[in-house]
Amino acid sequence: MIVLETQNLTKKFGGLTAVNAVSMTINQGDIVGLIGPNGAGKTTLINAISGLNPPTSGTVEMFGKETTGLTPEKMCRLGLSRTFQIPSPFPKMTAMESVMTATIFGNPAGKITDPVAHSREMLEFVEFPMNETVVAEQLNTVQLKRLDLARALASSPKLLFMDELASGLSEGELKDIMRIIDKISKKGISILMIEHIMQLIMAVCNRLLCIQFGTKIAEGPTQEVANDPKVTKAYLGE
Amino acid sequence: MDTTTNDLNMNLFDRVLDKLCLTPIGLAGLILLLLLPFIPPFNQEYMLRWLIYCGFVAAMSVGFDFTAGYINIVNFGYMAVAGTGGYTSALLVINAGLSPWIAMLAGGVSSAVLGLIIGMISLRLRGIFAACLSWFFGLAVMGLATKMVWLTRGPMGLRTPRLFETESNFPFYFLIIILVYLIYLICKWVVRSKMGLAFQAIAQNMDAARTSGINPVFYRVFNFTMSCAIAGVLGGFYAHFYGILTPDMMHTSKTVEILAVAYIGGRGSLWGGAVVAFPFIFLMEIVRSTLSHLPGLNLVIYALVLILVMIYYPGGFSYFYDTHIRQPKNRALRYFLNGREAKA
Repeated sequence: MIVLETQNLTKKFGGLTAVNAVSMTINQGDIVGLIGPNGAGKTTLINAISGLNPPTSGTVEMFGKETTGLTPEKMCRLGLSRTFQIPSPFPKMTAMESVMTATIFGNPAGKITDPVAHSREMLEFVEFPMNETVVAEQLNTVQLKRLDLARALASSPKLLFMDELASGLSEGELKDIMRIIDKISKKGISILMIEHIMQLIMAVCNRLLCIQFGTKIAEGPTQEVANDPKVTKAYLGE
Repeated sequence: MDTTTNDLNMNLFDRVLDKLCLTPIGLAGLILLLLLPFIPPFNQEYMLRWLIYCGFVAAMSVGFDFTAGYINIVNFGYMAVAGTGGYTSALLVINAGLSPWIAMLAGGVSSAVLGLIIGMISLRLRGIFAACLSWFFGLAVMGLATKMVWLTRGPMGLRTPRLFETESNFPFYFLIIILVYLIYLICKWVVRSKMGLAFQAIAQNMDAARTSGINPVFYRVFNFTMSCAIAGVLGGFYAHFYGILTPDMMHTSKTVEILAVAYIGGRGSLWGGAVVAFPFIFLMEIVRSTLSHLPGLNLVIYALVLILVMIYYPGGFSYFYDTHIRQPKNRALRYFLNGREAKA
């Protein structure tokens, strides 16, 4: 089943075309890696899909329904959730309150009977290393990323975007995050992840999408794309 | 040593107190305020007038903090919004013969409409830009009140009937104390509900809030409209207490007075401004009346205190209270300051 499909998705900022006619599909159960050099337009692409920065042209379809340009809150209700490159859930809230926010507002009314228990479950699921009463602004980046992930999962998504979840992690933390990604996938959530760490990409992604200067240059099974000369060239130059 | 019934009573008392959003010390403070006009020297009429003004500022600062402390938009036109309510109320009483009590509520409605308009327009703006927009709106409304002499009598002042037909200030004092508390209670109830979570989420991280399913349009406009409605009712009180309205009351310097009290009290606490207003504004009134040959001195003091608070205690009085006073060793004292603490 196709979870998400984009057709010729384009995002222009004035004269600059940040994303240029990108078409892609994400199938149920996929873990798609979105790769590309810095400034290629990866974050802009997922912003355009998730509605934070609506596309200039092209279409987005989720579960066969057109969702182009819908607001992020509507996309959230349809089952799309995301984490942020610079994780900053709600700085003055406790971990529990941050996750509660998404639990309460991200789910249809009445679906979650006990928001506290649900939020606690999410924090345990991402193996949040701190007490749930800790205030977010006191956390370090690794802890914030876990919290942001718990927040994103709390709205019961069917498709999850992860924006550089693993950047800056140590070897051991990388292993933990791989295990968590695996757990998320086993819950039946499809994943699109922006990532630079090839080790992680090769280990968890079943498909890759590579963009450069806003244009898609390769899409397909992980090994195939990783060995594609165009992709190597984009990263390493001639 | 204590019996079961006693324990049950305690629990009921605690539960009621919790519903009323008060701690034992808060209740004591409220009772003290209600007794104040019977204690010399506060039982003199001119002192009472000052205290009523303190109460007015206290109530305004609660409404102001509801927006500034929760959705992070500083409404620089807050007194102008109150003035709109005041003028609406006064004009309805004078021209339509309405009872001042009903007119006061109508003033709240008119301010709410103004708040709705400002809220809608400022939707796409963040932080300082939304503050400027509300400020300009305030200036425009004040300009209208000054220029539309045929309706408002402009700077000559509009005479308005008072709420109570007595010379005494006593009933007004009790009314404003009740208003302070009611406004605090309503704001606190809203903030305690899931709406409070949405307000904070929007203020702290708009993008994360939106991707978590929060519709910022609704919550921002709701918050703004509600705080403006509060200002409108209070504006009506102001009009029917002083008995005269001039466009001066809408001046930005008056808003700054409220802002100063709300910030010194502590942003996002609601109660901080209300508590600080009484001693602070009262002192300011004393300064103003004793040093009347130095007009504007009180504004200099506002600025100084505000700067000191911003540098040393950006959290304001409520933060100071929470970190240094709230957790004493003594259990009885602890209960007095916090009430029965909810178990996690």
